[in-house]
Amino acid sequence: MTSESLQQKAVKIEPIPVINPVINPNDEMLNRIGHVTRTLHDSLRGLGLEKILEQVATDIPDARDRLAYVARMTEQAAERVLNATDAAIPLQTELASEALCLEQRWKEVLAKPSLKTEYNQTAEQTLAFLTLTGKNTAETKALLMDIMMAQDFQDLTGQVIKKITGLAQDLEKQLVQVLIDFSPATAGKKEPDTHAVLMNGPQIDPNAADVVASQEQVDDLLDSLGF
Amino acid sequence: MANPNTKFLVVDDFSTMRRIVRNLLKELGYTNVDEAEDGAAALSKLKGGGFEFVVSDWNMPNMDGLTLLQHIRADAELAKIPVLMVTAEAKKENIIAAAQAGANGYVVKPFTAATLDEKLSKIFEKLEKVGA
Repeated sequence: MTSESLQQKAVKIEPIPVINPVINPNDEMLNRIGHVTRTLHDSLRGLGLEKILEQVATDIPDARDRLAYVARMTEQAAERVLNATDAAIPLQTELASEALCLEQRWKEVLAKPSLKTEYNQTAEQTLAFLTLTGKNTAETKALLMDIMMAQDFQDLTGQVIKKITGLAQDLEKQLVQVLIDFSPATAGKKEPDTHAVLMNGPQIDPNAADVVASQEQVDDLLDSLGF
Repeated sequence: MANPNTKFLVVDDFSTMRRIVRNLLKELGYTNVDEAEDGAAALSKLKGGGFEFVVSDWNMPNMDGLTLLQHIRADAELAKIPVLMVTAEAKKENIIAAAQAGANGYVVKPFTAATLDEKLSKIFEKLEKVGA
C-alpha cells in the first residue's frame, strides 16, 4: 500500500458533517477542531502503519532466506548421515561374513588336530581377518564420527528457527493490529478447499484435537473403521 | 516375506525420504525399487506398467498423495496395486480420507523400520488371503 492511499483512507474515515445551525457557534468550533484532530491522528497512524508494512515487506524475504537456510542445512546433514551409513553397512557386513567363515574353519581344524597344513592355512586366514578387522573398524569409527558430526545442524538450524519464530510473532501482532484498526468487519473467513485442509504437514503439538500422536493410534483408528 | 522381486514405487518430494524408504526396503529384502518425486510423475511411471506396490507421501507439489491414490483406484489397469501411505499428516480426518480412498495402510512420519516391515507384511498377508 502506498502512503498516498493510506492517507486517503485515513482522511475518508469520518467526513466532516454539515454544520448544524441550531448549535452554539462555540460548540461548532470545538466540533471542527475535534474533526481536524481526528483527521490528523488518522493520517499519522496511516504513516506509522506504512512503516510497519515496509518493515513487514523487508522481513518476509529475510524469513524466507532463513527458512531456505534451515532446509539446506537439514538436507546436507541428512545426506551426510545417509552417505555414512551407506558406506558403513557393507564394511560391517564384510566383517560379519568373514568372521562366520573363520569360525567354521577353526571348528573344522580343531576337530582334526593332525592336519598341520590346514592349521597353518587357517591361522593365516585368521591373521588376514584380524588385519581386515582393524581396517574396517577404523573406517567405521570415522563414519560413525561423521554421523555424529552431521547432527551439528541441530544447533545451527535451531537458532535460525528461534529467530524466525520471533519474527513471525511480530508480523502476526502487527497484521492483527492492521485488521483491528481498519477492517474488523471485512476480515471475513475464506472457505478453505478440502484438499488443502488435509495438507498440514508434521503435527508440532501431539495433544492438539483430532490429531494422532502415534502409529498405535493410527492403527486403532483404522481398526475401528474396519481396515 | 512376499516375492523379493516385487516392484516398488516410492513417491516422495524429498529425495532424502525416498532414499531412506529405499534403504529400508532393501534391508527388508526388496531391491526392485523405483522412485517418483510427486503424484504426477508417479502416475506416469505407473501407467508405464510393471509396478506391484506403491509407497507414497501425502503432501507433494503437482499432485498430492491422496489424489494419486484416487487416480490409481479409478484406473482399471492400476486399481489393484496396493498403496501404503507414509506421511507426516497426522490428523484423524487424513487417516479416514486415506482409508475411504482405498489406501492399504497408513504410516505416520517419523516412523521406524519395524513399523514399515509390519505394515508391509500385513498388506501382503491380506492380499494372499484375498488371492487364495
